[in-house]
Amino acid sequence: MKMLKAIVRPEITDTIADALAEAGFYSMTKINAFGRGKQNGIMVGSVHYDELPKTIIMLVLEDEAVDKALKIIKYKAYTGNFGDGKIFITPVDRVMTVRTGETGL
Amino acid sequence: MKEIIIVIRPKKVNATKEVLTALGFPSMTAIPVLGRGKQKGIAGEVNIEYRPGILEENKSGGMKYVPKRYLSIVVSDENVEAVIEAIIKVNQTGQFGDGKIFICPVEDAIRIRTDEQGNEAIS
Repeated sequence: MKMLKAIVRPEITDTIADALAEAGFYSMTKINAFGRGKQNGIMVGSVHYDELPKTIIMLVLEDEAVDKALKIIKYKAYTGNFGDGKIFITPVDRVMTVRTGETGL
Repeated sequence: MKEIIIVIRPKKVNATKEVLTALGFPSMTAIPVLGRGKQKGIAGEVNIEYRPGILEENKSGGMKYVPKRYLSIVVSDENVEAVIEAIIKVNQTGQFGDGKIFICPVEDAIRIRTDEQGNEAIS
């Protein structure tokens, strides 16, 4: 299993969430975050914003579903400007449901 | 070393913290998050009989996201089972929305104050 952590623009998260839901990836977690990238924040006029608000979309998927979800996120989060975000994919050993104590998604 | 990521009900956080402290794992990171699971937000979680077809008519009804608490706990391999068991015991209500536990591998940990690495850094 893999965990996808997509750091995307906050205004676009709902679009991504809806698109993922349509494709069958309904379960997800949204985390509000602040961060900066390679561009060192942003300059608006003479004001320098060091950390920009972003949203982390976290979802855990079976290995074979990762590519499909990645494609959706990449397509929906794309604007072509700096600040579209990053996607990190990390391994997950095991998933358990608290209600039943069962292993697996 | 393993990172145990749990997404649980906000009101169970205190109980979880107490139990984990008693077990000897007081350190954790908590983040308030919004999320949803297989049940599509809060719809279908209430104990009311729906008129047939009403759910199909109003697909966006209910709450889209449910407020949850995200806890991240890093423990050494041999303690994983004990922590999971404790978490399940405290958080299990038998209803939808009890949450999920994700167990992810962690390569290394460093305590900044003393520069300790590995298991010493998290003990």
